[in-house]
Amino acid sequence: MKKILYGTAYSFKEIKNSKIFYSFLIFALILISGSYFVSQTSFINQGRIMVDFSIFAISIFNIFIGIFIGASAVYDDIEKKSIFLTITRPLKRTEYLIGRFLGLAAAIIFSTVIMMLIFYAVLLIMHKFIVPVGYSAGNVKDKFTFYSLPQPLIIQALFIITESIFIASAALLFSLITSKALASIFAILVFFIGNVSGRMNDLIMPVKKIINGKIVIVHQANHILAAIVHFIYTVLPNFSIFNISSEAAYKVNISAGAIFYRIIYGLSYTVLLFVISSLIFAGKDIS
Amino acid sequence: MKGIMIELKNVTKYFRVGFFGTKKNAVENLSLSIEEGKVTGFFGPNGAGKSTTIKMIVGLINPSDGGIKINGYDASDYRARLKLGYLPENPSFPRGLKGIEIINYYSKLLDKRINKDEIYDALKLAGIFYAKNIQANKYSKGMTQRLALAVSILGDPEILIFDEPLSGLDPIGRKEFKDIIFKLKERKKTIFFSSHVLADSKELCDSIAVLVNGRLIKNKDVADIEKEAEGYAEKKKDYRLPAEYSTPLEIYLYDLMLKNRKN
Ligand SMILES: Nc1ncnc2c1ncn2[C@@H]1O[C@H](COP(=O)(O)OP(=O)(O)OP(=O)(O)O)[C@@H](O)[C@H]1O
Ligand SMILES: [Mg+2]
Repeated sequence: MKKILYGTAYSFKEIKNSKIFYSFLIFALILISGSYFVSQTSFINQGRIMVDFSIFAISIFNIFIGIFIGASAVYDDIEKKSIFLTITRPLKRTEYLIGRFLGLAAAIIFSTVIMMLIFYAVLLIMHKFIVPVGYSAGNVKDKFTFYSLPQPLIIQALFIITESIFIASAALLFSLITSKALASIFAILVFFIGNVSGRMNDLIMPVKKIINGKIVIVHQANHILAAIVHFIYTVLPNFSIFNISSEAAYKVNISAGAIFYRIIYGLSYTVLLFVISSLIFAGKDIS
Repeated sequence: MKGIMIELKNVTKYFRVGFFGTKKNAVENLSLSIEEGKVTGFFGPNGAGKSTTIKMIVGLINPSDGGIKINGYDASDYRARLKLGYLPENPSFPRGLKGIEIINYYSKLLDKRINKDEIYDALKLAGIFYAKNIQANKYSKGMTQRLALAVSILGDPEILIFDEPLSGLDPIGRKEFKDIIFKLKERKKTIFFSSHVLADSKELCDSIAVLVNGRLIKNKDVADIEKEAEGYAEKKKDYRLPAEYSTPLEIYLYDLMLKNRKN
């Protein structure tokens, strides 16, 4: 247990110092700050544009971090042979893998928090989209208002973390069976298809109408195509549930049930993929 | 009564190569016992299977057949490595971390507590203490080798496995490293190291194992091999051998390897 924690800390430190991590981080921060200028191109709804733009930047960069670092963390360790000294210590391979993965998860949380903080600061300065909470007691002069991000934005950050860690576990698994480049490509594909599969599945549903009191199918997609899409929809994870940018843009609160369900959904997939990775890794020749 | 520290029994390892995954043996039916408190040199030409054997011992790769026991535990069990230090061939470390951060981390992975003094001692012994605050990816080859050595001797392990410890070291480094081995030898550690430098054999080893083409062709005490070598040298009048090799032992080992090489 203690060894896992040290492994996590070490892994986090290593990722945090890596070029790829901070270039993504810095790039996202530039985009977030730049969202101000983007919003200036419009006269209406500047806050919404900023939110849309920034949330997009934050999620896409964290997903990139998840995919690229997920695909390279263990792969590079093996490739550069720096793993040799680690797993020849009295350490179980699973302990190493857990440490590595938790370090990556920590890096994702870290980058999301930093990006959100900067985003929050930009919103504070612009005085847009923030909601006042709580007043301090006392007379009107001392009145101090604390502004917070609206609930759906905070939940969106939580979802971005869940989703990025999830896709990282997929990238890690792929990197144990193929090359780093292929693993990244597969992970991107899984992410992309997982994002549109829900909508695709809706599209191929038969279109029904009620005509003269009877349900009539007016359009039916090709059966084979429908079966394939339905299969993909069932097998691949559904990533679109983590995207709540429209709720965020309209400040619609997300129910506790939905938050809980979606996070559990992401976490159980992550654990499942990690267990598979761990089984593969345990018997793998490392040379 | 000396015990057996490491025992390899009929170990075979093949790799699958090429598009069709044809089997290619790297190590063939290797049986070898490494005794407690002895220095065993593991010699053989390039590609003989030395590193493959060592990786199987330290649990990086699994034998295709046969079994390896260290201190009673199977090599794939993490407990086999409780008292084992390993220096890989061409070691390397993650980017962006200082030498001291790296060795600190490795010290945490051991089952016993290692204090700062012990870490400093290991660094000093390996001769890399002066560079502890430099990022390890900026180290030269020899410096990296030294840091890896420091990591491998942390926690005073009973068994030390070095894969080509002398490669990449300058003459001073080689001398220092040999001195370290002597020191460890005095402290009755079990040492198993691979090398292709035949000259290392006599001064360092108690026992010599020679591997050629994945097959063990000799495994004896140095004294016995020396006797054999002298007999061999007397019979063999032809002394036009490469100037590289001067002692009968070196010539004997050289000829052994040459003869057993695949044609
Ligand atoms: N991962 C691998 N996949 C395929 N073949 C391998 C692999 N590792 C080693 N081999 C093969 O196994 C044989 C033995 O290699 P090994 O590295 O053990 O040799 P060595 O004795 O350490 O040589 P050197 O003195 O050059 O270090 C070689 O023919 C090599 O090509
Ligand atoms: Mg080798």
